[in-house]
Amino acid sequence: MERQVEETQLQFRSGIRGSNSQQLGFGFLQAHDVISTKTPQETGGRSFTALLELPPPQAVELLVNEDFQAKTPPHIFHCNTALINRASKFSVFATAGSSPEGNYVVSGSCSMMPDVVKQEPPDFDSHLNSSMPAASNHSPKSLKRKEKVKEKKVNELDIKSKKVAPNDISVGSGDKLPYIYVRARRGQATDSHSLAERARREKIDARMKQLQELVPGCNKISGTAMVLDEIINHVQALQRQVEFLSMRLAAVNPRSDINHYAFLAEESEPAVDNNYQSMFTASMWPEGQISGSRQQYQQLWHFEGLQQPIWGRVEDKSKFITTENSLLSFDFSSNSGTGKLK
Amino acid sequence: MTSDHISSLRNPSSIKTRFAHRFVLALKKLSMDRASSSVSMADRYKRYRKVRAAAYASMASSVGPKRAWARALLRKIRNRKMGSNLMKRLGSRTGLLKKRTVLKPRNHREMGSEQENSLRELVPGGEGMEFYRLLNETGHYIKCLRAQVKVMKNIIDLYSN
Repeated sequence: MERQVEETQLQFRSGIRGSNSQQLGFGFLQAHDVISTKTPQETGGRSFTALLELPPPQAVELLVNEDFQAKTPPHIFHCNTALINRASKFSVFATAGSSPEGNYVVSGSCSMMPDVVKQEPPDFDSHLNSSMPAASNHSPKSLKRKEKVKEKKVNELDIKSKKVAPNDISVGSGDKLPYIYVRARRGQATDSHSLAERARREKIDARMKQLQELVPGCNKISGTAMVLDEIINHVQALQRQVEFLSMRLAAVNPRSDINHYAFLAEESEPAVDNNYQSMFTASMWPEGQISGSRQQYQQLWHFEGLQQPIWGRVEDKSKFITTENSLLSFDFSSNSGTGKLK
Repeated sequence: MTSDHISSLRNPSSIKTRFAHRFVLALKKLSMDRASSSVSMADRYKRYRKVRAAAYASMASSVGPKRAWARALLRKIRNRKMGSNLMKRLGSRTGLLKKRTVLKPRNHREMGSEQENSLRELVPGGEGMEFYRLLNETGHYIKCLRAQVKVMKNIIDLYSN
C-alpha cells in the first residue's frame, strides 16, 4: 500500500513537471485506483486528493490540523498543481461510477485543462492559498481564511457530488464529452458572469484600500460601508472648509498694494503645510490657531518690489482682465506641466 | 529675476502652484472690479459666491481636462454663470433655458448603495460614472481639495498681514 502511495506521488510529480496531459491522465488513473482502496488513517497527509473522498466533517478536521505537511516542495507549485488538484477532485467524484467511466471523465478533465489554464492566472494567488492547505507554513490569518473557505467547500462538495452524477451518465454513454466543465475556485460559482463580477469586485476593493490610506482615520475601520461613510464625511468637511475660507477671503479686503506674485514663494513652504496638517483633523478649526504660523511669512515678504509677471503664459496686460474667462477653460502652457497631481 | 521665483520653488508645476497662480489672479481681478467696501449682506454674499466660484474654477482648470470631475466642475460653474447672466437680462423667460441638465447614461443610473449615491452627489460629475471610476475620481478630488484648502489658508494669512 505504501509503495503504491509512493508511486502515486511520483506520478503526480512527474505529471506536474512534464505538464503532459497524457501523463497526467495516467497519473490520475493510478491515483484513482489507489484512492479507492485507501483509508483515512493511511493517508497521513500524503495525498491531498484522498481527503475528498471522506465525509465532509472528517475532511475538514484533517485539513484544519496543521500537521498536514506538504510533501511537494514549493517550487513545484505552478499553475498545474492547482489544475491537477481540481482534476483529481473530478476523478474522485467519478468513482461513484465504474472505472471505465472514470477514464472517460479523466480524459475529459485533461482536455479541459487549456481552458482552465487561461482562467488560472488572474486568481492564482488566492486560489493557491485556499486550495492548497497542504502548505504547512501558513500564517494564522490565512488559516482563518482556510477555515472559512473550507466551510464553503464542505457545502460545495455536497452540491458538486450531486451535480456530477448526471454528468457521469451522459459522459459514459458516448465517446465525446457533452461540454467542457470548468472549475472555479473553491466555494465559488463558475459562470463567466460571476467570474467577471469577482474580478470587478477585487478591483474595487483594491481602490477602497487606497482610499482608506488617503483618508485619515480609515485604517481601523473594516467594511466597505463604513469606509465609504468616512470618505463622504471627509469630502464634505473639505468642501465646507473651502466655502468657509472663501467667505473669509471675501471678507478680507485685499489691499491693492500687495503684490500677489509673492504668494508663489509661499506655496513652496512645506513647514507651513505641516502646521496646518496637524490642525486639520476636525471639520472646522478655530481661527486662533492660524495666527501661530504668521510670523513665518513675514521673512519672505521682500518681493514687494516685483513688478513683472512671472508666468510665461501671461504675456500681455489684457490677459489679466480675462482671467475669469481663462479660469473656465484649460489653458496649458509649459508651466502647467503634467496633468498629474503632485 | 522673475524666473528665479519659479525655479526656486520645490515643484514649479505642482497642483498647488498652478492653483495658487490662477486663484490669486482671479482674486485680483475680483478686487479690481468690486467696490472697495460694501457692508451690505447681499453684496458680501455675492462676493463670497464669486470667490468660491473662482476658487473652484481655478482648481479645476489647473487640474486639467484629464480628470472627469474637473471637467464637470467647470461645466457646472459655466452653466451657473451663463444661467445667471441670462436671468438678469431676459427675466422670467429664461427659467426654462437656465438649467442645462447633463444627460446621465442609463447604465449608471441604477440604485446603488446609499453611500455610493451620496458620494456621487458630492463629487462633481459623479452621476455618470461607474462605481470604480467614481472611486478613482474621489481619490483625486480629495487630494486636490486638500491642496486647495492649504493654499487658500496661506493666501488668507498673507492678505491679512
